[in-house]
Amino acid sequence: MHHHNHYYGQSHILARWAGLDDQHPPRIRGYLQHGWNVGCGWNPVHEFFDGAWRYTWSDPPRRRGHTLGRRNYHVVGAPFLYLSELEPDLGTVPEQEREGTLWFLFHGWEGGGKGGKIEGDHARLISEIKETETEPVTISLYYTEFERLEVRRAYEQAGFQVICFGKRGWNYEGTDRRFLYKQLKAFRGFKRVAANRLSTAIFFGVAAGCVPAVYGDPMELEGDNPLFGGQARIARLWPEMLGKEIDLAAARATTDVELGRHHLMPPAEMRMLFDWNPRD
Amino acid sequence: MPTVVRGEVQPWTDRNPAGGPALTGFLADLLPARAGRTLIAGPHDSDVLALAASRSDDVTVLLRSVSDAQALAAAQPPDGGYAVVTGSLDGLADAKPEPFDVVIAADGLDRLLGPDSAALDWPERAALLRGLAGPAALVVIGVENGFSITGLLDRRPLKDRYGDDEFRPLHDDPRRPGSAAQVNDLLGGVERRYARFGSDTLVESGVLTRTQAGFPAMRLAAAALETSDTPLLAPVADAVESAARAGMLDAVAPGWLVVLGTGGTTRTAYTATGTADLTADGWKVGDRVLPDAEDAETVLLRLAAAEDVPGFRAYAATVEPTWFDVVPGRPDGDVTPAAAWFRFRDRLIGGHHRHPWPPWMADGDDLVKTWLAMSGVEPTDEILARGREIAATLPAGRPDLRTALADDEEARTTIKEQAGHIFGLERTMRFRDQQLRTREQQLRNLRDELRRLKSGRSAQVASTLSRVARLRDPKRLAGAVKKRAKAFLLR
Repeated sequence: MHHHNHYYGQSHILARWAGLDDQHPPRIRGYLQHGWNVGCGWNPVHEFFDGAWRYTWSDPPRRRGHTLGRRNYHVVGAPFLYLSELEPDLGTVPEQEREGTLWFLFHGWEGGGKGGKIEGDHARLISEIKETETEPVTISLYYTEFERLEVRRAYEQAGFQVICFGKRGWNYEGTDRRFLYKQLKAFRGFKRVAANRLSTAIFFGVAAGCVPAVYGDPMELEGDNPLFGGQARIARLWPEMLGKEIDLAAARATTDVELGRHHLMPPAEMRMLFDWNPRD
Repeated sequence: MPTVVRGEVQPWTDRNPAGGPALTGFLADLLPARAGRTLIAGPHDSDVLALAASRSDDVTVLLRSVSDAQALAAAQPPDGGYAVVTGSLDGLADAKPEPFDVVIAADGLDRLLGPDSAALDWPERAALLRGLAGPAALVVIGVENGFSITGLLDRRPLKDRYGDDEFRPLHDDPRRPGSAAQVNDLLGGVERRYARFGSDTLVESGVLTRTQAGFPAMRLAAAALETSDTPLLAPVADAVESAARAGMLDAVAPGWLVVLGTGGTTRTAYTATGTADLTADGWKVGDRVLPDAEDAETVLLRLAAAEDVPGFRAYAATVEPTWFDVVPGRPDGDVTPAAAWFRFRDRLIGGHHRHPWPPWMADGDDLVKTWLAMSGVEPTDEILARGREIAATLPAGRPDLRTALADDEEARTTIKEQAGHIFGLERTMRFRDQQLRTREQQLRNLRDELRRLKSGRSAQVASTLSRVARLRDPKRLAGAVKKRAKAFLLR
């Protein structure tokens, strides 16, 4: 029932998986995790209604949520994985034809008047990317940075192609329902996925067959809440996902855990779990 | 008429005599093919009496109740099977009968005295009984366990638990044995011991001390105790599982059957429906062998508590062989798993176990449908209906105080969560209202824009050009006139 459930068109993908209208997906009775994080699946100050169910991508956020006194979890797997199943051919090219690096800059958010901008040394990051990547680089900016000309131009002028996958939406408005479709299609053409923070995009890229890399200035997020431990905790928990050269098998294993691959469920089960079957 | 010895009770009757298929089956294996003199002390059912009569030259039945003794004497076959004596144990001992070769007191030593008897404690009663037996006699004695699960969880005060000792508090007896070890010490020479769970289940004590949580021996004990008449503070199943985990299941059984002297070979377990032997290969039940391992319910409850749905799914896909042990009768295609899953749902939800499924799935058939699909069964309406019917016939746990309190707490939680749900829906509606207002404003803006476009000079020029074009085309003009005339006539 929360508008975050529509972010990136995730509700739409799950509705399609469940055999329902994915243009106007039915309400999910609870909260759907909308991005990978190091905590309980949501930001540290997220509000929850009594009795609402919490649908996480994977089991670790469920366990961490329990330590916060939260209950009523069910792990469903990341909608991106369901989309990969629904679109087995979207954007696929022969393995030997995959090329280049899709590079994700850690992004800010809409803020809602509470900040949400990122700050860091883009020039230094650009140098490091150029030193590291051996094939063409495409920079993906979230629209919050894409619309900041000083940020976008810094990467364009460095000679990178700069793209934006769209908006995740806010209060049911402006959601790009094809957001993840576009990402999946793009990932399947690239050899590498990289970012300056371990983030959702890295896991999606690995799930779509890319070799990951995480390096460079992680930058600062205005109003960032370090309650869950920040970058230091990420380094302690997922060292195998950090660096310029990462063991692909280990990265894939971690990705399967973090995206909850083993938790994907059949459409009929999902309809019952989300209370999507008609009761009248 | 029965023979009367000192200590008879009248008017009086002892209900619920010891007996049933488990006890009879056990005695059938234990008793020698032919015995000389047999004493059956205390109330025992007709099957036990008939069995003893068929294996003995001479059977004496001692009953303290005169009316029970009279009824039994009147009911016995014309050729006679046994001599009925009414009176108390001490009265019979005073009569100094010939020593018995077999003594059966499976009902225990508590219903052998009357108000006119001496105040004999448990060891004294045991000594009197054994004094009636010959030196090499086979003696079977039922012993109640004061430290039993059902005793510990009994919600009645001690004074209200017994109806037969009103003339003297027999259970307020410091010398009454409180453990299997004390029974052994008091009686000496105990050859074998069986734990009694309810009236219909006997399990060899050694096996019980070695069994584990969720294993068949524990499940036998739990199933028997769940049908107990004892009003309970908490579910016995949880306590049985804890006891099995600690290797204490024999120690907390409601009672034992101890055997002094040698007898025939007995099985590992006796129940109302048959016997079972624990062998190196597992439990032999008839021509089937079941593994001595955790049962499906224990594994599934653990996976549900861990909220491990992938593990639950994988296990559910392999669980088929155990349907036979959950649901009685012959397997009936996909109905048997449906019945088993309905039963599991009732135990999971009714027992307030932890699990990851939301309440709207638990309230209807959705959980069962989900699990059936995990088992590879298409959950049709017919299968669900028949499965539900069968599950409703299976024995359910008896009500207990803890479950009632948990039900109450859950009802409060449900109310709180429903209120939260309504709050959430209201908030969602507010978002949606905002979304509608935004859309409406967008429509208004578009309409205004259209109106401005229409009233603009270029739109007027385009309109004039269109009219002129129509006038210059006679066919289009005729068509337009015809359309307007038709519309006018139909108005």
